Amino acid sequence: MATRRHFLKISAAAGLAPAVVSAQGKARVVVIGGGFGGATAARTLKALQPALDVTLVEPSPVYTSCPFSNSVLANLREIDQQQFRYDGIKAAGVTIAETSATAVDAEAKTVALADGNRLAYDRLVMSPGIDFNWGALPGYDEAAAEKMPHAWKAGAQTVLLRRQLQAMDDGGLVVLSAPANPFRCPPGPYERASLIAYWLKIWKPKSKLLLLDSKDAFSKQRLFQNGWAELYPGMIEWVPLSQGGKVTAVDPATLTLTTEFASHKASVANVIPPQKAGAIAAQAGVADRTGWCPVEPVAFESTLRPNIHVLGDAAIMGGMPKSAFAANAQAKVCASAIVKLLAGEKPQDPILINTCYSLVAADYGISIAGVYRPDKGRLTDIPGAGGTSPLEAVGGLRGQEALYASSWFRTIAAETFG
Amino acid sequence: MHRALLPGLTSMILLAGPATAADAPPGASSCTGCHASKKVSDSVIPRIAGRKAPDIVTLMSDYRSGAWPSSVMGRIAKGFDDRQTEAIAAWFAAQPE
Repeated sequence: MATRRHFLKISAAAGLAPAVVSAQGKARVVVIGGGFGGATAARTLKALQPALDVTLVEPSPVYTSCPFSNSVLANLREIDQQQFRYDGIKAAGVTIAETSATAVDAEAKTVALADGNRLAYDRLVMSPGIDFNWGALPGYDEAAAEKMPHAWKAGAQTVLLRRQLQAMDDGGLVVLSAPANPFRCPPGPYERASLIAYWLKIWKPKSKLLLLDSKDAFSKQRLFQNGWAELYPGMIEWVPLSQGGKVTAVDPATLTLTTEFASHKASVANVIPPQKAGAIAAQAGVADRTGWCPVEPVAFESTLRPNIHVLGDAAIMGGMPKSAFAANAQAKVCASAIVKLLAGEKPQDPILINTCYSLVAADYGISIAGVYRPDKGRLTDIPGAGGTSPLEAVGGLRGQEALYASSWFRTIAAETFG
Repeated sequence: MHRALLPGLTSMILLAGPATAADAPPGASSCTGCHASKKVSDSVIPRIAGRKAPDIVTLMSDYRSGAWPSSVMGRIAKGFDDRQTEAIAAWFAAQPE
């Protein structure tokens, strides 16, 4: 099959530093970021076209998954159940560069690495996830996150927040601050509020949770609010933007969150800060003034820099939310499109699905789904498809969706990491 | 080319030529986000690789109409027309079980 393809002939090595690491004569794809987008892209590229030279650049030997990390907060899972290694991806023939990408040169088509090497590429896939806009929320910086964890990148922060919850006296006030759109995992703050309340109800039932929001509406809102009224009456208070929910400053020394109308002193404060595409995206020139990365809707190639594809949370994907399911689905479409592009063929217009489950309690799941296609230059919801779980659950629907949620997680982890 | 023996789908598959994974029809690659391409232990979501194409088409049609109740599949099936559904079904039928 490979011999029938017309791979790009590469002469890029001339003029580059001797540190360029590449097998000559094969088309080279470099993938930056080993999350659900990047790891899937690397693996799928190799599966679709074994002749490709695919390198995944990821500094951490272990990936800690954000999906299901709210269950770690509620003591329903341990953090090591969230962790995946890259052995399966290595076994699939992908080269792993266990270091970070420090600079992308879109003109020379090279990626500089922290270990001093430089990788040349024919196509670059960037799936750098998110970084925080430190400073966008006065008082909140990396040091403050040690007192008021974000836990929005899973790992040590998740464990820290759980430890704080466990150390809290019964009757304490947990304050959660949710950012304005867009941000990673739109239903995530509300699932987190739900599962913290689930845990508080069992272990610290006199406690309360205050959810300060920079928005007036959120994903699966009525389903969450109905669930809260049913399962945790009086425990969760949601303050929307229009009622002064926007947090304008925080003080980590006193665990105080200030809004336009009031100050709230927390026993435990979980601040989910404003976000942007992972820092390497701005360096590469693929992020726009919003901090996120515009892409075309067929191969997810950057509209700002050619030959660079951006996936997952970092990208502006039209109607598709920033979710692990979406990143995995985009990665598979992107990999297939890159194989076509490298062979000099035109990629087909894709259709993508997103499905996001949230847990309102351990055995109470809700979902939102969407189906998307390119339309007028952006990924757009197919009308009549998608939507949320019904407000009235018949039979054991909520329990069934909780089971589907955990089955989905096992599947997506296996599909991504092997 | 055993897959070309599937009744009713022969013409479409011949048009598609020798299928590579890169040639999966639009939408198919998203399905494996839930319906695992290889066996996953402890999942209640059924695999669809290797299932008979007409069975997948019938189920999707029943999900779409609501004749067969579902949690999420009805919402997803409504995003695909008959032709797209048939192409996806044929592709999964040709995948190893």
